[in-house]
Amino acid sequence: MINSKTKKLNKFFNPKSVAIIGASDEIKTVGFGLVKNISLFKGDVFYVNPFDKKIAKQESFAKITDIKKNIDLVIIAVPAKIVLEIVKDCCEKKVGGLVIISSGFAEAGEEGKKIQNKIVELVSRAGIPLIGPNCLGIISTQNNLNASFAPLHPKTGNIAFLSQSGSIIDAVLDKSADENFGFSKIVSYGNEADVSLVDFLEYFQNDKQTKVIGIYLESIKDGQKFMTIAKKVSKIKPIVIIKAGKTISGQKAATTHTGALSTDYEIYKAAFKQAGIIQTESLQDFFDKLKALCFQPVAENGFGIITNGGGLGVLAADFCEEMGIILPEISKKSIISLDKDVRLKLLSTKKNPLDLMGDALPERYKIAIKTMLGQDNIKGLLVMQAIQIMTDPMENAKIIVELHKQFPNKPIVSCFVGKKLVQEAIDYLEKNKIPNYNDPKRAIQAISSLIIKK
Amino acid sequence: MEILSFEETKKILKKYKIPFCRTEIFNSQEKALAFAEKIKFPVVLKIHSRIIFHKSDIGGVKTGIQNSEEFNQAWKEISTNSQLKNIEGILVQEMVKGSELVLGMKRDNQFGPIVMFGLGGIFIEILKDVSFRIAPIDKKQAIEMVKEIKGYRLLEGYRGKKGIDIKKLTDLLIKISNLAIKEKNILSLDFNPIMANDKEVLVADFRLII
Repeated sequence: MINSKTKKLNKFFNPKSVAIIGASDEIKTVGFGLVKNISLFKGDVFYVNPFDKKIAKQESFAKITDIKKNIDLVIIAVPAKIVLEIVKDCCEKKVGGLVIISSGFAEAGEEGKKIQNKIVELVSRAGIPLIGPNCLGIISTQNNLNASFAPLHPKTGNIAFLSQSGSIIDAVLDKSADENFGFSKIVSYGNEADVSLVDFLEYFQNDKQTKVIGIYLESIKDGQKFMTIAKKVSKIKPIVIIKAGKTISGQKAATTHTGALSTDYEIYKAAFKQAGIIQTESLQDFFDKLKALCFQPVAENGFGIITNGGGLGVLAADFCEEMGIILPEISKKSIISLDKDVRLKLLSTKKNPLDLMGDALPERYKIAIKTMLGQDNIKGLLVMQAIQIMTDPMENAKIIVELHKQFPNKPIVSCFVGKKLVQEAIDYLEKNKIPNYNDPKRAIQAISSLIIKK
Repeated sequence: MEILSFEETKKILKKYKIPFCRTEIFNSQEKALAFAEKIKFPVVLKIHSRIIFHKSDIGGVKTGIQNSEEFNQAWKEISTNSQLKNIEGILVQEMVKGSELVLGMKRDNQFGPIVMFGLGGIFIEILKDVSFRIAPIDKKQAIEMVKEIKGYRLLEGYRGKKGIDIKKLTDLLIKISNLAIKEKNILSLDFNPIMANDKEVLVADFRLII
């Protein structure tokens, strides 16, 4: 069931026409950033600014009501004190949706809150959904809609990223520019005056371009509603979260032990767990898990580990134990299959993690990967590689990609450790949706997010 | 904000079938002693007040009372310490052996009622080894809560010491969760300690805040 709010959100991500109020040719302004980013958009674009006749060599309008055509999406980036007037015009124009970039509202104090409430009253009466105020804007990659003043345009992919902080989006876009994953939608939702986090969650639940949802969160507007909706959405699409703000707030006056011990962060952690949300500790961990989830299928617990170096295998096994990842024994049937290879037959122990030894050539990886994936209780695989003089990383990468096609429902994660000698192979792996991590701990943390919690 | 009276507390505990150590409230030393002799020593004496939140801080608790002599001495001390002001009476309670556990509930502005579980004593005071869930919780979540604390292995039994009845413990967690959902006038509660052994899990100290 798609509710009416979700339906209305479609105007934000699939508009036919966009207007920017506060558009500008003056570089280093928000208005200029918006004009620059919207230039990629293929639909109709209109600029509104009473002080300029032309913007980006295109006619500029004094007021939104001067535009004849219907406008689906309006981006407002004007000083806070005139936003209310502008919103009135937009209501009169009956636009499809509003994004207010401007700050100086509820986040700034009582006076700002009053104006924000007036704006919400106006748009609610007009039935126009509003994102913000106090945000960076929104991005939808599939139709090249960049209605934000972010410094870069993101790669297309299937991660929907919701952030309470605009600057985190800016940093992430630059940081992820060389990564092999990309985004379906990016939303800076600001003060949540009207459309709130849960509305976006419901929208992304049904969004075909989105496979996984990532949230950067500071605080929630309505915890119980969030729990209800996140519980429902996480059953359909994984939700990964990074929560800022772990400090104890005002618990000193608590009259019970429960009161004194239940810091906000502990409660959030419990709520996320109950809602089936995957929690992360750092931005690196956040994107490591998002990458795994957008590239690979999820699976039940039970992973095989293949390595050509004992050290990497032991490190991985340690983290598996810490994180409750089961490493099933290699079955008798699998051992018979492995023993077809002369060199593997000579291995004194065949355990999981399976150490193929330092001199392992691609053929040995091939037999081991095929055998492990063929074992029923091994639900997914970690393939590790330490670069040694005879190792052929590119050939190993090709084998992984090929064999994954035979077992598409079993996730494979790789841990090719190194840089200069393995980068080409890593790029090949990731272009073919095998997520690589150059540290066993990161690989195992990523795997933990792929395991279906029962 | 005040503590629920003893009679009201007892009513709530019975309504939700929450098992607690045999306890009665007295203002008469003579009747109190008769009750202690009936339930058999050792017993605990402690004040019940609607406004005193930390009763041991004012010398309002005496444990391990072995006979009538010690009982009379303890009664006198508690009466002097509390000056019998602002108290409903003195509770006489049976002493049950076992591991000390803590269960609690509070209402959070964001998420509503929260249930907490942990081991008592230093585990909660110093190590803060506790787990939380948002109510309501089901059986599966109650088991998760119990297993989540670092000290869980102590509850399973170790070095010849018998473990506690985990089923009775998880039942109790679910009962508190139900209570939290239904009794909206109870703002928070602490059961600290709860005495648990291989046969029973009994609330020894209760504080329901209204």
